[in-house]
Amino acid sequence: MNRETLRHIIRGMLFLIVQVLILKRISSGSQWLWLNGEIFIYPIIVLLLPIRLSRHYVTLISFCLGLFIDMFYDTVGIHAFALTAMGYARGIILSYLEPRGGYQLTMSPTRHSMGINWLLAYTSLLFIVYVFLYFTVEIFTFVYVGKILVKTIITFLLSMMTIMGYHMLFNPRR
Amino acid sequence: MNNLLLFIIRYSAFLLFVLLEMVALVLIVRYNDDQRDIFLNSSTVFSGKVYNAADKAYKYSYLQVIADSLASENAKLKTELFNLERTIQHIEGSEQPLDSCVLEPFRIINARVINNSIDQRNNHFTIDRGTNDGIRNGMGVISPHGIAGIIDQANEKYATAISILHSAARISASIKRNNFFGSLVWRELNPAYMILEAIPRQADIVVGDTIITSGYSFIYPRGIFIGTVHRFWTEGGSNYYTIEVKLHEDISRLDRVYVVDYKEMQMQSQ
Repeated sequence: MNRETLRHIIRGMLFLIVQVLILKRISSGSQWLWLNGEIFIYPIIVLLLPIRLSRHYVTLISFCLGLFIDMFYDTVGIHAFALTAMGYARGIILSYLEPRGGYQLTMSPTRHSMGINWLLAYTSLLFIVYVFLYFTVEIFTFVYVGKILVKTIITFLLSMMTIMGYHMLFNPRR
Repeated sequence: MNNLLLFIIRYSAFLLFVLLEMVALVLIVRYNDDQRDIFLNSSTVFSGKVYNAADKAYKYSYLQVIADSLASENAKLKTELFNLERTIQHIEGSEQPLDSCVLEPFRIINARVINNSIDQRNNHFTIDRGTNDGIRNGMGVISPHGIAGIIDQANEKYATAISILHSAARISASIKRNNFFGSLVWRELNPAYMILEAIPRQADIVVGDTIITSGYSFIYPRGIFIGTVHRFWTEGGSNYYTIEVKLHEDISRLDRVYVVDYKEMQMQSQ
C-alpha cells in the first residue's frame, strides 16, 4: 500500500467522520434547513479518486462507501444506490469533460490541477445525479416528484457550497 | 461463447454497476420499512384512484336499485303506520276485545312520478304503476312531505293522477290543533300555496298552524302533514275564513310517491 493510497484512505475517513458526526446532526435535527434538505460531503471521496482508476474499482468503492454511510443513517441501501450510480457516471462525465489531448498522468480531479471551471462542471454534474437519485429512492415514488425536486435542489446547493468551500480552503493537489 | 465472454469483458463495468444497483435496491426494499410500505402502497395510489372511480360509477348505477328497495320498504312501513293509527283510533272509541279491533284498511304502493306539470290550470302527473300493481281510480297519492294527488285513470302499467294543483281537487283537511276541518282547493295562484275553505269564523287560528288530512274522505288516511297556515282572512260578509296554506311538499319536484289503497273505499263503492 503506497503513500498515495494511504492518503486517500485517511482523507476519506476524515470526510466520513465529518459527514456522520457533524453534517448528519445539522441536517437531521434542525428546522432551519428548510424542507429537510441535507448536506452531503462524503461523495467527494469518490470525486477525488484518481482519474485513471478503473470504473470497476470506482463503482465498487462507491457501493461500499454508500453502504458504510447507510449504517450510520439507518437507510440500508439508499446511499449505496445513489453513490454507485454516481460512481459509474463518473467515468462517463470524465470522458465527456476530457481536455484536448486527454488526461495527463499527473492530473487529478482538483482545482489545483484542472482549474475552477472544470471542477465546477465535474462536481455539479455528478452531484446532481447523486442527490436526485438519493431523494428519488428515499421517497421512492414519482407521485411526489415536486417534493423530490425541491429536496434535490436545496440539498444540491448546500452540498455544492460545502464541497467547493473545501476546495477553496484546502486546495488539495491530489 | 467467445462473443459472450467478449461482451461480458467489454461491458463488465456496466454489468458490475447494474449488479450493485440491484443489490442496493433489494437491500432498500428488504430492510427499510418505509420503502417497503411505499413500494406496496404506491401501486395503490394509482390503482386506488381507478378503483374509486369504478366504484363510484358502479354505485351510481346501483343507486336506482337501492332507492327502489328503500321505497318499497317505506311503503311497507307506511302501511303499518297508517293501519296502527287507524287501529288506535278504533280502540279508543270501543269496548271490544283488542284482537278484534286490529284493522288493516290501508295498503301503500310505492311509485315514481314519470311526468309532472305545475304550470297549467289543471295539472296532472303520471306514475309508473298501473292496475297490475293494484292501482285503481280514486286512490290518493301521498309524497314524502305531504300529499300529491288522486289517481284519475289507470291502465295496466301506468296511471295518471290529478295533482292537488287541479281545479277539481278538493281535499278534506283539518287544523291539527283544534280539528276544524274544511276543503283544500287550488286557485291557480302559486304551486306552493293552496286555499283552505269553509273553516268557520269561531275557529281559533294563528299563522303557522299545522294543516293535516282530516281522514273524513276515503282518499287519504288521517293525519298526513300537508302544510302550515301562511295567512288568513275573511272575505266580505262571509262566515268562513279563507286560509292560505303553504304546502310542505314542493309539487314541482315530485319523484317518489306512495299510493294509498284504502280498502274501505272499495267496499263502499261496490
